[in-house]
Amino acid sequence: MRVVEGAKFIIDRYLNNNTMNRIPSACTKTAIALTILVVFTACATQPPAPTEDRSVAEQVRAPAAEQTRGLQVFPLRNPAVTELSEAALAAEQQGDLDQATLLLERALRIQPRDPELLQHMAEIRLERGEWEQAEGFAARSFDVGPRLGEICQRNWRTMALARERLMRFDEAATARERLQSCQIEPPARL
Amino acid sequence: MRRLLIHTILFLFGLSLGLSLPWFWWLDREAERRFAERQWTQDSRIYGRPLELYVGRKLRLDDLIFELERIGMRAGDPGRVGRFRQQAARVDLHAPAFRFPDQDQAAQRLRIELVGGVVESLENPGGESLALVRLPPAELGDLLPMGSDDRTLTQLADFPPLLVTGIQAVEDRQFRHHHGIDPRGLARAIWTNLRRGAVVQGGSTITQQLVKNLFLSPDRSLIRKLNEAVMAISLERHFSKGEILEAYLNEVYLGQDGAQAIHGFGRASAYYFGLPVQALDVDQIALLIGMARGASWYHPVRNPERARIRRDFVLGQFLDTGLIDSAQHDRLAERALDVSTHRQRRQRPNAAFLELVSRQLRRDYRDDDLRGTGLKIFTTLSPSAQHAAEQGLARGLSARERQAGELQGAAILIEPSSGEIRALVGDRQASRRGFNRALDARRSVGSVIKPFVYLLALAQPDRYTLTSPIIDEPIEIEQPGREPWQPRNHDDISHGEVALMDALANSYNQATVALGMEIGLPALYRLLGQLGIETGDEQHPSALLGAISLTPLQVAQLYQPLAAEGYSTPLRAITQVVDAENREIGRYPMRLRPIREEGALALLDFALRHAVTDGTARALPALLNEDPGVRGKTGTTNDRRDAWFVGYTRQWLGVVWTGRDDNAPAGVTGSSTALPIWAEIANALPFRPQPTQWPDTLEWFWIDWPQARLASEQCPNALAVPFIQGSQPLVLSDCFEPASTSRRARGRRR
Repeated sequence: MRVVEGAKFIIDRYLNNNTMNRIPSACTKTAIALTILVVFTACATQPPAPTEDRSVAEQVRAPAAEQTRGLQVFPLRNPAVTELSEAALAAEQQGDLDQATLLLERALRIQPRDPELLQHMAEIRLERGEWEQAEGFAARSFDVGPRLGEICQRNWRTMALARERLMRFDEAATARERLQSCQIEPPARL
Repeated sequence: MRRLLIHTILFLFGLSLGLSLPWFWWLDREAERRFAERQWTQDSRIYGRPLELYVGRKLRLDDLIFELERIGMRAGDPGRVGRFRQQAARVDLHAPAFRFPDQDQAAQRLRIELVGGVVESLENPGGESLALVRLPPAELGDLLPMGSDDRTLTQLADFPPLLVTGIQAVEDRQFRHHHGIDPRGLARAIWTNLRRGAVVQGGSTITQQLVKNLFLSPDRSLIRKLNEAVMAISLERHFSKGEILEAYLNEVYLGQDGAQAIHGFGRASAYYFGLPVQALDVDQIALLIGMARGASWYHPVRNPERARIRRDFVLGQFLDTGLIDSAQHDRLAERALDVSTHRQRRQRPNAAFLELVSRQLRRDYRDDDLRGTGLKIFTTLSPSAQHAAEQGLARGLSARERQAGELQGAAILIEPSSGEIRALVGDRQASRRGFNRALDARRSVGSVIKPFVYLLALAQPDRYTLTSPIIDEPIEIEQPGREPWQPRNHDDISHGEVALMDALANSYNQATVALGMEIGLPALYRLLGQLGIETGDEQHPSALLGAISLTPLQVAQLYQPLAAEGYSTPLRAITQVVDAENREIGRYPMRLRPIREEGALALLDFALRHAVTDGTARALPALLNEDPGVRGKTGTTNDRRDAWFVGYTRQWLGVVWTGRDDNAPAGVTGSSTALPIWAEIANALPFRPQPTQWPDTLEWFWIDWPQARLASEQCPNALAVPFIQGSQPLVLSDCFEPASTSRRARGRRR
């Protein structure tokens, strides 16, 4: 029960930090906390096997999205950045990674510290096989990001994949460990 | 006899046929080949970064107007392309079309409202708000000195329709119907000229004129006329009317700008009116069309009377063919020739930056790939930031030199997170081509090097913290085969035991050498190498005090990761290179490399802020209109030969160097010469206030002075200082109250 209380506390903190969310009732909070715990326990015992038919970026995104249903970060965004990042996603889906990179660079000129943009760039670099750059952008995204939730998972999963490809297996293992803490640590900031 | 005559005629006929057929065949082939190659003789254009407009963007009204003017727009009726109107803080504009590599952007009308230096709203004429608008980029110049002639290809569809129909009405009304030559037009011209007794009408078709402009010498001979006709027919056989007309509009000779010939209406429009061709008014189009007949004879500046008569004649032709009505004609014919050839090309705006671009291109491409291939080079330069840097440097040097013209300088502005170079000035007269100090002046950097010595110390939290005592006292360093080195402080006073952060903030030499010798020279050289600076093999202790010669651009590269929260990225001037058809040739994407010492970098950041609030750069806050939390370091070299100031926020990193070209003592110092220039430049830049995000590995404690001891917030001298977890001092100050805590509450930022 202490664990559930702890998770409730995290959600409280998290929701209070995000003005966009209405504070739900205590009952809803407990429900969310339980859901997260269940999902998280599942993931701790059964890490998602990388499927070869997924693109590299999908290997990063899909598990994170699966595990964080109901707990997503939707920061208030500049509409200009939203427009560019949606266009980048569309370009990526059409396989035009050059165009996606250009659009993300434009968005980063507007918001250089946007964790979502930085992580998206990291995933594009993964798809291009630019492992060092993928790691760099994911690390930067983690540094400026919430260090919690879906994006945190994508950060560490990217770093883990990139390090594996760079044959730095110990560091990749560390990244996989850090991945676990995306769910349990509150956003620790000064 | 008669038979002989017939035989001779037949023989001559056969001979000429035999000779002329291969000749015609050769002309035909040449015309086709040279026309097809024509696209490969365009100059390469270099563009600045496009201005992105969106709600919430920091943008001053002056800067917006300045940027609009740099993209060739002028005040006027925004109903017309290329014009803008400013009313109080509202600007209505009609941005010209631009072919971005990723998008053909049509001309568009916009309304921008600025409140307090921020874009408050951005709408189209229908009142719909727009999330994001990318204005066309300013054209900075071309790649010199590759071509002597000035050409850019404008597509047929991008010329104003009146120009396209008007040129046919005046030069060649049968253009759409003839096959290269127009015998009826020729006959009519001869008849008219005979009747008037002077050459008032030419019989050449547009195709013939194109051939003349493209391939042939300007001499007037029958043979040339014949060649011209044959080649004109040949072009018509191989290419469409649209292609021929487009080539003509881009190739026709329209005057001279110094040694450079002006080809095409696009160039001419920029040269004579400072406008993009789409923004030309009817009378301006008429003037340029008139000049196609003889650009120097009808030159609007040298022969204004003749040019005006010719323009009115063209307007008359417009009226005859129904292109304009008579009211319009009468009104336009009243107008004076409004020509502004103020654009001086011998002076080269953005000379230093263009030099950098051109060097990077030559490093990455073969000369042949760059010469005359009509490349479009997209760069990172911000015209308004460049302007701020040029003005700040020029004014700052004039105000601070002992005698006029004595000092020189360089200034660089970059955006730290992306490494993009926004401004680069290599001469106090920024448009002078010549010695580029930003790239080529290798000068001693002095104390500007010190932060890197301290960074190495702070990366060992078990040995050094911001409050560690460092000894500032006379010190002697043995050197093999030389006199021992005895560094002195700037004020010739030794300060005894000082805190590490104060030694850096006050730039104490003896303390820095003592610290540097503990860390070791190889570590410093290794760090500089990691940050991308080649220093040579010889390692000398005086490097600890900056006896290393670097260019201002290298200094900017060194400081970039400090300003970018520990993420190093190579400085970039070019983002993308495309060919004349917008196909990508090269790309320079943003690259990030984390430097692992996150905690140490944050501590150094704190110390460099301390230098601005309490150290050698403490004059800065008072010089700034608003202090966005600048971190900075001054640098002065022996006998005041060089003065440096490097200052940064998360948004801007600026490097200023000043000194004399002959490296003689110049009476300059970092804090009294370079720093005020930096401040002047910074005051003209838009800064967003941004709270510093400190890494989680730091803990803050209240520290009492002069000997650093743990204190509580109530202690009179207490200052909150960050420490890497567990490295804080353990000794308690006398004023520490046992019931309180020396740990600073979370959530407070400095």
